Amino acid sequence: MAMLLAKKNLRALLRGAMDRKYRVVGPVREHGIVLFAEMSDPGALCLDELNTQNSIKEFFFPKTEKLFTYSLGKNDAAVADDFAPPRTVLIGGRACDARSLVALDRLFGWDYKDKFYFARREATCVITLACDRFDEACFCTSLGFGPRAAEGSDILLVPVEGDEYAVEAVTDKGRALIAEVKDVFTEGTPGAEKVAYPEKKFDLAAVKPWLERNFEHPIWKEEFLSCLGCGTCTYQCPMCHCFDIVDEGDIHGGARCKNWDSCQFALFTLHTSGHNPRPAQAARWRQRLRHKFVYYADKFGTEACVGCGRCIRNCPVCLSILDKLVLIGREAAAAPAQPAGAQP
Amino acid sequence: MASDNIYLPYLMKVDGVRDETRDVRTLRLKFARDEDAAQFSFKAGQFGEYSVFGAGECTFCIANPPTRAGFIECTFRKAGRVTKALRDLEVGDTAGFRGPYGNVFPIESWYGKSVLFIAGGIALPPMRCVIWNCLDLRDKFKDITVVYGARTVGDLVYKDELREWSERSDMKLIQTVDPGGETPDWRGQIGFVPTVLEKAAPASADTIAVVCGPPIMLKFTFPVLDRLGFARASVYTTMENRMKCGVGKCGRCNVGGVYICKEGPVFTAEQVARMPAEY
Ligand code: SF4
Ligand code: SF4
Ligand code: FES
Repeated sequence: MAMLLAKKNLRALLRGAMDRKYRVVGPVREHGIVLFAEMSDPGALCLDELNTQNSIKEFFFPKTEKLFTYSLGKNDAAVADDFAPPRTVLIGGRACDARSLVALDRLFGWDYKDKFYFARREATCVITLACDRFDEACFCTSLGFGPRAAEGSDILLVPVEGDEYAVEAVTDKGRALIAEVKDVFTEGTPGAEKVAYPEKKFDLAAVKPWLERNFEHPIWKEEFLSCLGCGTCTYQCPMCHCFDIVDEGDIHGGARCKNWDSCQFALFTLHTSGHNPRPAQAARWRQRLRHKFVYYADKFGTEACVGCGRCIRNCPVCLSILDKLVLIGREAAAAPAQPAGAQP
Repeated sequence: MASDNIYLPYLMKVDGVRDETRDVRTLRLKFARDEDAAQFSFKAGQFGEYSVFGAGECTFCIANPPTRAGFIECTFRKAGRVTKALRDLEVGDTAGFRGPYGNVFPIESWYGKSVLFIAGGIALPPMRCVIWNCLDLRDKFKDITVVYGARTVGDLVYKDELREWSERSDMKLIQTVDPGGETPDWRGQIGFVPTVLEKAAPASADTIAVVCGPPIMLKFTFPVLDRLGFARASVYTTMENRMKCGVGKCGRCNVGGVYICKEGPVFTAEQVARMPAEY
């Protein structure tokens, strides 16, 4: 026997959560685009698209986060942070989205702990849908996991024959939510899983050593000339986490905020002196690839890419990180490292 | 700042303002709360985020030595929104400070050796902290030499301290300005820092070199030090990449895989040589 959820009961699950004062976030259609957004009515849940345009990161690391408020008087000053994120059920992310949380935990938690991110993490129950389809931009399997991986989810819903989901309660938080809304679930023997696996497209093990060896390489100039530096790829990416810290307010009162930023912007690294360590777009793309596949992997033991394909679907000039990874895989196969420096 | 919010600054009061050049100013800040002052400590080389509420934060090293504590100083050039707002502060005004962040100059490991300081322009502030730190422990070191250059005489910062250093008998100060930057009464050298350094040819035996300056100056100074016989592991610098968070989150400061805010800002020339040319 296993726990099952009829697809038609998905909205009842959300209704149950709303009745218990959870904020519910899930994919909804807004102006023709399917986005993760806060829902006031479970009927708005939209599972038509494989992937939303935005990622779930903004519910843990918002586009703009108030770090504290300040008020200044004539001779005194006060700062305050009364931060308490709402208890949230986040439904409709994919295995890639959930995995991004586990990877981001390491960044926001190393040494200094970012309480804003972790408070939102703790307050949020993540219900993930395993994928029953993929598109040409998906590459989770190339990164060593797959469309029904449970990592990062509190509850995993796996589509099975019979218009049902097999329910995997992954964490205590997930089990607690299930206990709260248990009426919507049934017990039974699940039908065959309807999970769709994209084929593996490149050899991940070859990418990092190639990037390490080729800080200088013709592809940096040849492949990225068309990039506009618009930053769309980084904003839609569940893993990109660069931010700026800015004040909003005046000398009397206001707030200091943490706002998303992007390594694809020319101003990102510009020094006051006018010197720019990454003067061209090619250098910024190289940073993006190396950060995701070398630096992050070295520091945090996992890539800063989960293969969700958002950057590919949304790039205005159709630059594809997947194409570049495939190209790098090919380059690596054509010119393997010297045995002494070879990676296992 | 007893808070779990890593972005919350200490509240500071402006305690002193000093103009170094036409556009460079030093601020002395004191902690608004005694508890903060009592538990705060730092070491030479560390940096922080200085802020003006309503304008934002800016990264500078702590320019005073830990041997003279109870306050912190920063020296900055007016360049953008935050530095303009910092410049507008008057004695008694409120500011913010987060820090100290980053690693330190391993000064204890230099005891018994000579120290050679080489700085260009607005890069004297990060070094001033170390220079005073060493001068305040003068008997721990052999020779202390400072080579300092700026574009013009008007751009030399800490003029009072330069005078004091030039008058001290227990250290040597070599000052220079770029060709064309001299005034009729200029009595120092004329020439770029690396050239002047090579001519002065300080001894490298048992000597630590500390170099601070813009990337272009580092690029030309390291080879001179090589030729003078300095081992790259005895040459230190502090890297001034753009930073925002200071705590290894915001993704701004990395050179290759090295997060300057966490693993730096102090590096040896040997470590710098291993980084990709992206600084
Ligand atoms: S880099 Fe692209 S494919 Fe990878 S996680 Fe980010 S948006 Fe998804
Ligand atoms: S979305 Fe495309 S054009 Fe825009 S910065 Fe990313 S790669 Fe460049
Ligand atoms: S300054 Fe933010 S990561 Fe280093």
